[in-house]
Amino acid sequence: MVLENWKTNRFVFWVMSLPGTFWLVVFFLAPLSLVWILSFGEKTGILTIDITWTFDNYIRSFEAVYLKVIWKSIWISFLATVLCLIIAYPISIAISFAPNKWKPILLLAVILPFWINLLIRTYALIAVLRTRGYVNFTLEWFWDSANAILAFIGLGSFQLLGAEFDALPLLYNDFAVIAGLVYVFMPFMVLPLYANVEKLDKSYLEASLDLGAGHWRTLRSVVIPLTMPGIISGVILVFIPALGTFLIPDLLGGTNAQMIGNVIERQFKAANDWPFGSALSFLLMYVTFGALALRALLSREGGGMDV
Amino acid sequence: MTRRSPLLRPTRRNFMSGIAGVAGVAAGLTFLPRGTMADEEKKLSFYNWDTYIGETTLDDFNKATGIEAKMDLYADNAELFAKLKEGNPGYDVIVPTNDYVERMLKAEILETLDHSMIPNMSNLETAFQDANFDPGRAHTVPYMWGTIGIGYRGKKVEGVPASWKWLYDSDKYAGKIALLGDALTVIGHAAKYLGHSLNTKDPAQIKQAEELIIAQKKHIKVFANDNGQDLLLSGEVNLTQEWNGDILQVMEEDDDIGYVVPTEGGVLWQDCMCIPKGAPHPKNAHAFMNFILDADVGAAIADFIQYATPNRAAKGKMEDSYTKNPAIFPTEETLAKCEPALYLGEEATRLYDEAWTRIKAA
Amino acid sequence: MPADTSIQNAAPVGVGPGKRSWWSAKSELGPLDYARRWWMKLFLGVMFAMLYAPIFTLMMFSFNDSKRNVVWKGFTFKYYIKAWNNDSLFLAFTNSLTIAVLSTILSTIIGGMVALTLWRFRFPGKPAYEGFMALPIVVPEICMGVAMLVFFARIGWPAGMPWPLNLSAITIAHVAFSFPFVAVVVRARMSGFNRELEEAAKDLGASEWQTFRDVILPFMKPGLIAGALLAFTLSLDDFVITFFTSGPDTVTFPVKVYSMVRFSVTPEVNAASTLLIVITVIATALAMKIQSPDKGPAH
Repeated sequence: MVLENWKTNRFVFWVMSLPGTFWLVVFFLAPLSLVWILSFGEKTGILTIDITWTFDNYIRSFEAVYLKVIWKSIWISFLATVLCLIIAYPISIAISFAPNKWKPILLLAVILPFWINLLIRTYALIAVLRTRGYVNFTLEWFWDSANAILAFIGLGSFQLLGAEFDALPLLYNDFAVIAGLVYVFMPFMVLPLYANVEKLDKSYLEASLDLGAGHWRTLRSVVIPLTMPGIISGVILVFIPALGTFLIPDLLGGTNAQMIGNVIERQFKAANDWPFGSALSFLLMYVTFGALALRALLSREGGGMDV
Repeated sequence: MTRRSPLLRPTRRNFMSGIAGVAGVAAGLTFLPRGTMADEEKKLSFYNWDTYIGETTLDDFNKATGIEAKMDLYADNAELFAKLKEGNPGYDVIVPTNDYVERMLKAEILETLDHSMIPNMSNLETAFQDANFDPGRAHTVPYMWGTIGIGYRGKKVEGVPASWKWLYDSDKYAGKIALLGDALTVIGHAAKYLGHSLNTKDPAQIKQAEELIIAQKKHIKVFANDNGQDLLLSGEVNLTQEWNGDILQVMEEDDDIGYVVPTEGGVLWQDCMCIPKGAPHPKNAHAFMNFILDADVGAAIADFIQYATPNRAAKGKMEDSYTKNPAIFPTEETLAKCEPALYLGEEATRLYDEAWTRIKAA
Repeated sequence: MPADTSIQNAAPVGVGPGKRSWWSAKSELGPLDYARRWWMKLFLGVMFAMLYAPIFTLMMFSFNDSKRNVVWKGFTFKYYIKAWNNDSLFLAFTNSLTIAVLSTILSTIIGGMVALTLWRFRFPGKPAYEGFMALPIVVPEICMGVAMLVFFARIGWPAGMPWPLNLSAITIAHVAFSFPFVAVVVRARMSGFNRELEEAAKDLGASEWQTFRDVILPFMKPGLIAGALLAFTLSLDDFVITFFTSGPDTVTFPVKVYSMVRFSVTPEVNAASTLLIVITVIATALAMKIQSPDKGPAH
């Protein structure tokens, strides 16, 4: 597709690009640069920060403990993203192959939880996962029934299933954090995937099956490569916010559920160390921005599917 | 080749009508009479903790003075401070805890009070008429005070667990323990258990406390910022470190729950009302504080939120179930062992924060 | 490669074994009828159950007769009444809705224009421009929240303005982080546009504006709608950035819920959320009913 050189139509170019550029520069880059400048500052008092253009904050953010937290955040976000992908992919395929009258309903069913406030959804998740929550209630019911059956066939006194129902520790640990992340970010993965699978030319699949490939092979060799832009969009839309999240580890996590978002949040609140918090945030941003730039470089003019 | 549009095609029109509807509602709502839109004079912006006011206090204030008070909520002192740091966004009265009052005083963001507008100060107990963190009560009026201790479930613990040992240094109740979530509080109490001061600035002592907590971590279920009492109630934990009023509130719902201040002592906190600089209605703020100090009003608040009131006149109107409750008013010997939290200065705060990061990352 | 869409539903000839599902004697499942396979239905069913279980719990607990809402104590409607009478909750919700509507309108317009610029033109520094446009998506929210707080404080943004002007700070912040999302969605949509149509229109004598209005805009519409929907959701649900830019009179629903829920998860919050869900579902169902008469594969 041929791009027009901006010079051929200057007026149109300026009219179209000015609002976005203005907003970005004044209401995004300007505030962000204030924080960027802060990251080179030093606390000289409770409220005062002196911009001494020091690298101390960045040096401090490379200490072992912070790198450990960043690594853990990357790891947890990665797991959550992969899980999201594995769950969302079949869902988007199912929706796109569903009969037409079901499609909007199914899509809406996926998006609807998204319209409920994040905090409320997380608290609701707690009610499901905790020791006396739904999941454990259901498991306990199974346990009781199994015990009843065992007693019925005469094996009751052996306590084959243990003396007492051991509730699964599903909350206040890393599992809960990942489950929470998947639960919250699912629509972000389903929508781009669906958009891509929907545009897929079904005749490719037909052809592949005609040529004798099984369903799995078709999936691997035809569907996935063709929907790769959607996959990448979805992965980016989930991984990056997950990396910076602090509410979910705060509410669902256990004693070691600390992600870099929590550390940053603490710097801006309890620790009252805004320069350091700024430095940490920018470190996080440089990393993600670098990865994005790398991807953009590798995929050049991809037809506008970049995020 | 029929190209399908990528996303929610059928909802295009549905969204348009939805937007029209929403816009209509929003437009209609702008024409509703709204008390907050018009005059500035008879208004008050009260920034407070949640459920930390009597049921009808704000309405009573409106009836008594004609001033409409609106209450906004914050969840912890750090949040309050972060909001005020870059300038007062419009709050008239705030209720920080004593150590944050110190911090705010050092940062000079609190207004000096005009005591002539608060005659009800004489209702306060003598002990509360002055404060070492705010000499002469120049900037603050005490609101409520209390302790931090251990909430426990009677049937699931042995006797009364009257020591921090059960939370910080023992695996007896492994997996069923919750601590608070604030660096200064948790590490401070660990230091107190080890025999040091709650407000230690000594890096060696802080390190010792840090190591104790890291060793204990595998037995702790969660660092619960403010819902420890809910965890206790739901049976998720059997022991929790919590503020006394929170535990009292769940004691109403479940008889099996008890509260005790450990023998090593805990923190003695005091929440105070103050006026941040740049408040739009300072006169109303003074009137409000005076109103709260009234004996009847104070009694109503204390009865509803079950915290200890520093108001002697109000306390005189309360029943024995309140005044003689050891969870609300600890005995003299317990009080002797408790320490008020001090503002430790920015360097020590940083030490605690770094220790906390290490604890949580371990 | 033009595809005959009838292939999809026709009985396959000589293709792999089309399974006959044991309960539906209706028609033989085509090889691509993934949605009708039983294992897929089961998977979808389980997934939706897990997605909605917490919400169902939430709605159930809104009827709980207990101040702390941790253990079920009895059935009551009183928290619905409390939520309905809670003025501050209503104000917060109105604020949220107003901000969301304003933010969506602005974001959609600005985002659409940015998308068109990037789609159509080649200009020096374009990759860098695209990179900067992606920044709002990449920035950690708390960083942006603090940035906004500092920015508005330093430039002395007037406070205490009458409603709805006092929501301007929050709205501006919301637009700033929403419009890049809209731009991405619209740009994805525009990648399927055949420029020859535009050239044809120009050849026939249409002016720039007419071309835009009659040729480009209709094609953009689904992208704009999707982008607007996204911007609306982002704004309505935003907590972190709004938290730092809100003041006493400009509390929004998520911020209000956060402060209410940190201390005591009363059924009141559940009641308010349930009301919200019910209203949303009804509104969407109505909207879909309205447009269903002329539903069909046409666009």
